[in-house]
Amino acid sequence: MSGVLLRRTVAAARWRLLAVTAGLALWGFLLPVIYATFGADFRRLVEGGYFGDLFELFTSFAGGSVFTLSGSVALGFVHPIPIALAAVFAIGYPVAAIAGERQRGTLEVILARPISRRRLYLTALAATGLFVLVALAGNGAGIVAGSVLFGVADELEPEQLLLAWANAVLLFLALGALALAASASFDRLAPALGLTLGFALASYAVEFLGAIWPDIGWLRPWSLFHYFQPAEILAGEASPTDTLVLAGITAAAAAYALWAFPRRDLAAPS
Amino acid sequence: MSVIETSGLSKHYLAGGLRARLRGTASVIPALDDVGLAVRPGEVFGFLGPNGAGKTTCIRLLLGFLHPSAGSARVLGLDTQADGVAIRGRVGYLPGGVALYDAMTGTELLDYLGAFYGRPASRRTRMVDGLELAARDLARPIRDYSRGMRQKLGIVQALQHDPELAILDEPSEGLDPLMQRAFYEILDELRAAGRTVFLSSHVLSEVERVCDRVAIVRRGRLVALEEIGALLARRRRTVEMRLAGPPPDLAGVPGVSDVEVVDGHLRCRLEGDVRPFLAAIGGSAVTDLTIEPARLEEAFLEYYEDGGEVVANPAPAGAVS
Repeated sequence: MSGVLLRRTVAAARWRLLAVTAGLALWGFLLPVIYATFGADFRRLVEGGYFGDLFELFTSFAGGSVFTLSGSVALGFVHPIPIALAAVFAIGYPVAAIAGERQRGTLEVILARPISRRRLYLTALAATGLFVLVALAGNGAGIVAGSVLFGVADELEPEQLLLAWANAVLLFLALGALALAASASFDRLAPALGLTLGFALASYAVEFLGAIWPDIGWLRPWSLFHYFQPAEILAGEASPTDTLVLAGITAAAAAYALWAFPRRDLAAPS
Repeated sequence: MSVIETSGLSKHYLAGGLRARLRGTASVIPALDDVGLAVRPGEVFGFLGPNGAGKTTCIRLLLGFLHPSAGSARVLGLDTQADGVAIRGRVGYLPGGVALYDAMTGTELLDYLGAFYGRPASRRTRMVDGLELAARDLARPIRDYSRGMRQKLGIVQALQHDPELAILDEPSEGLDPLMQRAFYEILDELRAAGRTVFLSSHVLSEVERVCDRVAIVRRGRLVALEEIGALLARRRRTVEMRLAGPPPDLAGVPGVSDVEVVDGHLRCRLEGDVRPFLAAIGGSAVTDLTIEPARLEEAFLEYYEDGGEVVANPAPAGAVS
């Protein structure tokens, strides 16, 4: 890993990182607030059957719901808003880190220095991990702050929250490693971004549509999001398989990139 | 020991898409073919050829950006494939049409790129002064720079850490004549300090002015590798003279050919040493004499006029078979 490159990468991304972290912290903060403020009302509405199943459908998603704090937190993790925010660093940064630099012509300016391609890749991977950690730490801090400030903190098991948070970190690390592998494989940003984003969106759709549409349920194990189960973890049913699969995908993507990137020909940018 | 030494260095690409490759119908395009050259320590070596001749491919092979299809290359005694990092720690590289980080200021960029070497940027101040990059310019974001300013910054980033070997791809592109002169002075300083410069250029007058030796590539093949002086001396120059009396007898004078005399006007071609020619016309009534200067441009063009065939022996001094 290159300290010079890592410092520069962090410096270049600092304002974006701050904005995304603040956004995720705010999102995390809102979940216990919504639960503490409206959770009981929502439950009464559902139990009263005023809107039939429709209301429950809109307030429950991927095992999460707004009727319990753990359900709210789980819902907050899998909601498209935090996923889109975290993807800024889990997909946006790694995709641009190599393919984007290559397209701009700046990659060769860096690789003309005494730094190997493997070292450059590992630095980009470390930066991806760091950004994901910081951004999701904001999310975790927001959840804790909201729970404490609105007096519902005792409804959360800290160990389970930490495990769910770690599950989220692993998911976005796996996405980041896949994005970086794509980035190391292409000379242009568009195919690397398209491939990664397409995979992430398809993966998300398969997992969450598969849960309510049995015809495509068999596809769920092929989705990265199938191994992201904060609701189960917060309910005390953490599965080590999820961790192993996400860690394995991260390691496989990194191994591929470490093998392929140094072997590629880097022709002059057109 | 040669600073750069290549042997049978080749780079071939497969033309056609994935389908052609899978079917085995893809054709092979030789971007660089069997290039053998040796660059001596302390020389400024010019690498010439038109667009697409293989100059940049050769440079990228030397820096380890590309992997050779055949042959090998050594830079500063190190193998380009196995020791790329060690090589690049001792080399300064200016890419053609250098791309820089637009959001950084000039100073930030130079600090950043210099930090990779772990040694002080000992040439920076002198180069910044020589290329007239004012402190206020270096404090501005690069996005505000003109093309010439970017090129100057590119030159400084390549040489600020005082590399043993500078590999410069079209270094004076975008520089105005004054800055070109300042750049040539930098090259003179490098030469005086015993540094080696490998310079690819389209500007033949520049190569003629600054280089000790040149290699000429055409369609990926090395067609000439000579001292500038020897290359120019071998050129056939046009001589024209006006006479007030009978023409001199130039038959059998070494290097003289194609003699034509029309109405007191003599025209011939002269190759190599001029002294036998001058001796031969010594007693003639010459009222005016013009010997076209031997320019690299004409020598260069001669290598490209013969329909793709190699027109000169590419293996004089310094070449590696």
